[in-house]
Amino acid sequence: MTIPDWVEPVVRYMAEVGLKGTLRIAAASLVGSAVIGILLGTVLTINFRPTRALIRLYIEVWRGLPILVTIFIIFFALPSLSSRLEFDPFTAASIGLILWGSAQVAEATRGAVESIPREQHEAAAALGFGWVGQHAFVILPQALRRLLPPLVSLLVNIIQNTTIAQVIGAAEILETGERSVERLTAPPPIGPGEVHAFEIYAGVMAVFFMMSFPLTRLAAYLERRLT
Amino acid sequence: MLVAAFDWTFVSENADALVTGLGRTLWVSTIAILGALVIGVVLGAARAHRIPIVSQLAAIYVEVIRNTPILVQIFFILFGLPQLGIRLDAFTVAWLAIMVWGGAFNVENFRAGFEAVPLQYREAGYALGFGRLATFANITLPIGGRIALAPSINTYISVIKNTSLLYVISYEELTTTALNINALTLQTVETFTVLAVTYLAIVWTLSGLIRMLESHLALPEGGR
Repeated sequence: MTIPDWVEPVVRYMAEVGLKGTLRIAAASLVGSAVIGILLGTVLTINFRPTRALIRLYIEVWRGLPILVTIFIIFFALPSLSSRLEFDPFTAASIGLILWGSAQVAEATRGAVESIPREQHEAAAALGFGWVGQHAFVILPQALRRLLPPLVSLLVNIIQNTTIAQVIGAAEILETGERSVERLTAPPPIGPGEVHAFEIYAGVMAVFFMMSFPLTRLAAYLERRLT
Repeated sequence: MLVAAFDWTFVSENADALVTGLGRTLWVSTIAILGALVIGVVLGAARAHRIPIVSQLAAIYVEVIRNTPILVQIFFILFGLPQLGIRLDAFTVAWLAIMVWGGAFNVENFRAGFEAVPLQYREAGYALGFGRLATFANITLPIGGRIALAPSINTYISVIKNTSLLYVISYEELTTTALNINALTLQTVETFTVLAVTYLAIVWTLSGLIRMLESHLALPEGGR
């Protein structure tokens, strides 16, 4: 069985443009979600009503909205408020995923920080650490162990949700797949006039499966080792 | 300033369209949730009881759906399947895609719930002369189903949120309707406020329900 001629350029385009785009959104979203989420989740453990109420609202809003709606708000609604709030599809999608992802991380961080025994806080205080030092050098390094499985699960969800960027036209894997389908379907001289939607979308599913499956296994393994 | 600029006539002028869109969102969600419930209980039971072949097929179904993006699944059903001669209308694609996704997550919810039922309970059922099916219906399902209830409602919340993705197949549910209204009226702030508030109202109501159920339905022995 030989590989048909149409395959090679499609695979190259989807790998060079699409996969790169997907990884770009995923990397920015993971880092942003982790940093903001850990920060908010740690502050959430302080028993001060106003900050707790604000962070809770942040978590419930961005966890509650469908990610597509959040991305639409950023991409379509923010520019109507101010021209400085105009973002390209990649940035808009990343911001949307960070809002959603940081809400997930904040909730997980709160649980992880609260699971560290009170004595650890007291011991750190006895060593002369202030609140920031206690958390940065003593509490969070220990909480991170507990945070690892949810962070790996978050990465899986982020990778899968990067496809939502397709809706606003970011050239990630699904978008490059769709463009390839359309180019191949176009009649000559533009394209060969062949329909390969089944193979291409099945291929897109396979690529995501190969990225996600090892990570879901890893998350399950880390979860088991922890308990 | 924002509140002052909010044009309240927007709501009354577009109420009909928005209510129709919301109705479609809730209708597709209802079908998908009922389907996912059946899939979850049946395949979850097959997984928990390790019924040969069915259990393995269910495992493959769960892993494929959970490890691929739902948006790609929708594209695959809508654009990929017609190549094999399977042509479905937008409404069928809508509930089918959402149900298949929710079903896969629900299989895991119910498998975990059924597996949390101690083996001794089942043995007690057999000792009372119940067959396997009667034991499942009278012992494993009520106890395991209760354990699986809260996580499954979480899945249903995701199911409802996922219906927004039907925008890509131009099925006129809530999000598609709102985007269409926005394109016509250019009342962007009003459109997205109404859209966001509607979704949050649905999602927050359901997550409030979970918190209520969790305290009311907690098993006296903590699921043991």
